[in-house]
Amino acid sequence: MTGQRGQPARRTVLAAGLSLGAGLLNTACRSAVAEQQGSGGGPRHGGTLRMVQGTDILPAFLLSQINPNFSVSRTVFNTLTELDHRTLRPGPSLAKSWRVSDGGRTYVFQLRDDVAFHSGRPFGPDDVVFVLDHLTKDTTSSQVKAVAQQVTSAERTGDHEVTVGFGKAVSNVWDMFEMMILIDRESVTDLASGREIIGTGPFTVESYKPGSSISLKRNRHYWKPGRPYLDGIEIAIAAQSSSAVASLRSGQTHLALDLSPLDAAGIRDRPGFRLVQSDAHDLTYYIGANVEVPPLDKVEVRQAVAWAIDRERVLAQALGGIGRPSSLPWSPGTAAWDPGRAAAYTLDPDKAKRLLRRSGAAGAKVDLYYSNTLATNAAIAQIVQSNLEDVGLTCRLQPKQDAEYQKMFVSGKIPGLFVNGHGFGQLTPSTLVKGSWPFNAQQNASNFRDPEYRRLADEIWTGKGDALTTAYRDLNQLFLEQQFVIDLINSTHTYAIQASLKGLAWTMYDGIDLDHAYLA
Amino acid sequence: MLRYALRRVPSALAVLAIASVVVFSVLHLAPGDPAVLAAGPDASAKTVSAVRHQLGLDAPLPQQYLTWLGGVLTGDLGDSYVRGVPVATLIGNGLGNTLELTLGAVVLAVLLGGLAGLVLGVAKGRLVRGATAAATALAFAIPPYVSGVLLVMVFAITHRILPAGGHVSVFADPEIGAQYLIMPALALALPAAAVLARFLSTSIRRVFGEDYIRIGTAKGLRRRRIVLCHALPNALPPVLTVLGIQIGQMLGGAIVVEAIFAWPGVGQLIIDSLKSSDYFVVQNLLLVTVTVFVVLQTVTDLLHAAVDPRLRME
Repeated sequence: MTGQRGQPARRTVLAAGLSLGAGLLNTACRSAVAEQQGSGGGPRHGGTLRMVQGTDILPAFLLSQINPNFSVSRTVFNTLTELDHRTLRPGPSLAKSWRVSDGGRTYVFQLRDDVAFHSGRPFGPDDVVFVLDHLTKDTTSSQVKAVAQQVTSAERTGDHEVTVGFGKAVSNVWDMFEMMILIDRESVTDLASGREIIGTGPFTVESYKPGSSISLKRNRHYWKPGRPYLDGIEIAIAAQSSSAVASLRSGQTHLALDLSPLDAAGIRDRPGFRLVQSDAHDLTYYIGANVEVPPLDKVEVRQAVAWAIDRERVLAQALGGIGRPSSLPWSPGTAAWDPGRAAAYTLDPDKAKRLLRRSGAAGAKVDLYYSNTLATNAAIAQIVQSNLEDVGLTCRLQPKQDAEYQKMFVSGKIPGLFVNGHGFGQLTPSTLVKGSWPFNAQQNASNFRDPEYRRLADEIWTGKGDALTTAYRDLNQLFLEQQFVIDLINSTHTYAIQASLKGLAWTMYDGIDLDHAYLA
Repeated sequence: MLRYALRRVPSALAVLAIASVVVFSVLHLAPGDPAVLAAGPDASAKTVSAVRHQLGLDAPLPQQYLTWLGGVLTGDLGDSYVRGVPVATLIGNGLGNTLELTLGAVVLAVLLGGLAGLVLGVAKGRLVRGATAAATALAFAIPPYVSGVLLVMVFAITHRILPAGGHVSVFADPEIGAQYLIMPALALALPAAAVLARFLSTSIRRVFGEDYIRIGTAKGLRRRRIVLCHALPNALPPVLTVLGIQIGQMLGGAIVVEAIFAWPGVGQLIIDSLKSSDYFVVQNLLLVTVTVFVVLQTVTDLLHAAVDPRLRME
C-alpha cells in the first residue's frame, strides 16, 4: 500500500523532469553555439567574426590611441596613409599619392575620388581639413596633438586635393597621419556618445550597446573592390580575461584581444588556436621613478634599481614569455633602436649594492605604486619588491585603485617608484618624447626636467641626417644614465585566435585591419 | 486615506533628499579624478583642465550638486563622463539585463527547489530522498562563482552545447536568448533552490502531521490529491516568504555571475564605472536604487493602510 502511494509522487517527479527536459530540448532547435560558429569551414566570403575584448570601446577617444578602440579604429574608419610594417614608410589609403615640398613643410595629398562615408556622403578634402582642426581643440585627446599644432594651414586645393602646411618640418608627421582617423564632420557631435559612429572603413556600425557589445556589418560600398570578405563582426565585452578564454575555447569567439599575458601563453600551445603577436612591439613595461622624492632623487639609486631587477624573471613569470628584456623604450626596427644599449642593464645585485652604498641609500625605504586592477602590473610589482629587498632597499608595495593611481600618475605626484606600461616606442622616436606622458620632455610623470633632454627631444623632432643620428645616440645615453624611466620588457599586443581565422592584420598603431580577413 | 498618503510623502522626500546628498558627497570624496580619465591617456594639463571645465567639474561642489539634482528632477540624468552615453540609457540597459537574469534564476530556483522540496517532503524511497538531499546540500554549498565556472567547463568547453558567455535578450529572441540565459541563471539559482527545497520539505512534513491530512488519508483520498490539493497549498506560504528573501540575495549575487558570464548587467556597470571614476553613472544608479526602494516602501505602507484602517488612525 505504501509503495503504491509512493508511485504517483515519483511519476509526478518523473513527468515534471521529462517536461522540463522536453522544454529545454524544444528551445534548442536553433543553437546559439551553432549560430556563433557561423559559416566556419565555408567559403572565403561571408560569415560573422566574433570577437571579445576586456573593455568597452570609448568613441570619445577615437582620435587617441587607447586599447579598447583598437577593434573599431581601423574596421570602421580609414586614415590618409598607412605605414608599411617593414620599411616604416607611408603607403596609400584614402590618399592615393602625395608630394612633400618646402623642406618638409608642405604636404599635398591627392585623395581617392571613389570613397564615401557610411552615411553615403562623398569623402573629400574638407573632411581632412576638419579633422586636422578638430585634433587641435583643447578638449580633443590625442597623443599627436603636438604635431597637429604645427599645422599652419590646411585647405582644399582641388576637388580631390588637400594641402597641409607646417610651421616647421617635424619628423613624425606620418605618425599623425597613421593615427588620424577620418571621422565624419556631419555627425561628430554624436560620435562621443556613440549615437553615430560613421567612417569610411570596411564595416559599418549596425548597433552599439554601451558596456555590452558592438555589431558591425559589411560596408557594401567599400572602396576596396570585393572587400571585406566577412559579412559582419560581433564584438562582445568580457571584463574577466578568464571569460574571454572560456569563450574562445568554447568556439564562441574567433578572436580575443589582449588576454592577460599568462592566459595568452596558455592559448599558445593549444591545438586549434594561435597566439598572434603584433609586430609593432608597442608595449613596454617599466618602472617609473619620481626624481623629486628621496632617495630616488639620486641618480645612483635609480641606476641601482635598474641593476637590481631580474628582467628575465619578470618576462617569464609576469608576461608568460611574451616580449624581450630591454633597457630602452624603443622597439626593434625604429631609428633609435640600439641593441647593444638595449641590453645595458642586466641583473647585477652586487653592482646595485655598491651604487646604493656609494649614494648613502643602503637600507633606505621606497614605495612602489601600481594599479591594483592590472594583474600584470601587480605581478611585476611583487617581483620588483623581492629584487629590491635583495639589494638592501626596503620596498613597500602600494596598490591603488585605478582611478586614484591614474590621478597620481597624470599629476606627477606618485611619491616613489611606479609600475606601468607605455607605448609609442615602435615608430618615429620623436612621438615618444613629445606625446607619451612618461617621457614627455616638457613635463612628465617622473618630474624629470632637464634642459639637455628638452634639447635632444627637439633635435630628434626637427633634426636631419648626421645630427639626428647623433641625437638618437645621445638620447639613449641620457635614458640609460638618468633612469627616470627604468624600462624592463619590450612586449607586444597579442591576438588569440581560432585557427579558422585567416588574414588578420593590424596597423603599426595596433588598429585591427580586417580588410582581407575571412573564416576558413 | 488621502490624508494618510499625504502624510507619508514628506518623509519619503526627506529620505530621497538626504540620500542624494550622501551619494553625491561620498562619491566626490572618493579618490580619483574623472577629468583625468575623461581626458584620455597622455593628456596635457591644458586638455585635462579644458575637459574638467566642459564637464562642469571645476564648479563649486554645491553648484555641481544643484545642477545634478536639477537634471534628475527634470528627467535628465546627463551623460557618462567617460563613455559619453546618456546615463539613463546605461542604467536602463543594465537594470533590464540584471532583472532578466534574476527573473530567469527565480524561475529555475522555483522549479528546481519546488521539485526537490516535493521529493524530500513526500517521496518514500530512501535512495531517492538521499540522492535529492545530497544534491540539495551540494547546491547550497557551492557558491555561484564556482558552479558558474564548472558549468562553463562542462557545457561550453567540453561539450559545446551552450554559449560560454555573452548576452542576447530572451525578450528579443526567446530561442537563442534562453540558451544564453540558462547557465548564468542556473549558477545563480542553485543555492536559492536548495534553500527553497529545504523549507518546502520541512513545511510539507509539518503539514503532513495535521489532522485534516490524516482524515483525508483515512477517507481513502489518493496520495497525489492529498499532496497537491491539501498539503502543498498549506505548506507554501512560509516558503513564499523565504523566496522573497532569496530573490534579494539573487539580485546581489548577480554581480558575480555577470562577471563570469560577461553578462552586461548593473553589476558590471557599477564595477566598470567605479574603475573609470565615472562617478556620474554611479551616483545616478545609486539614487535610482534608493528611489525604487523608497517608492516600494511607500506603496507597501499605503497598501497596508488600505487593508488595515487602524494604521490610518496612527
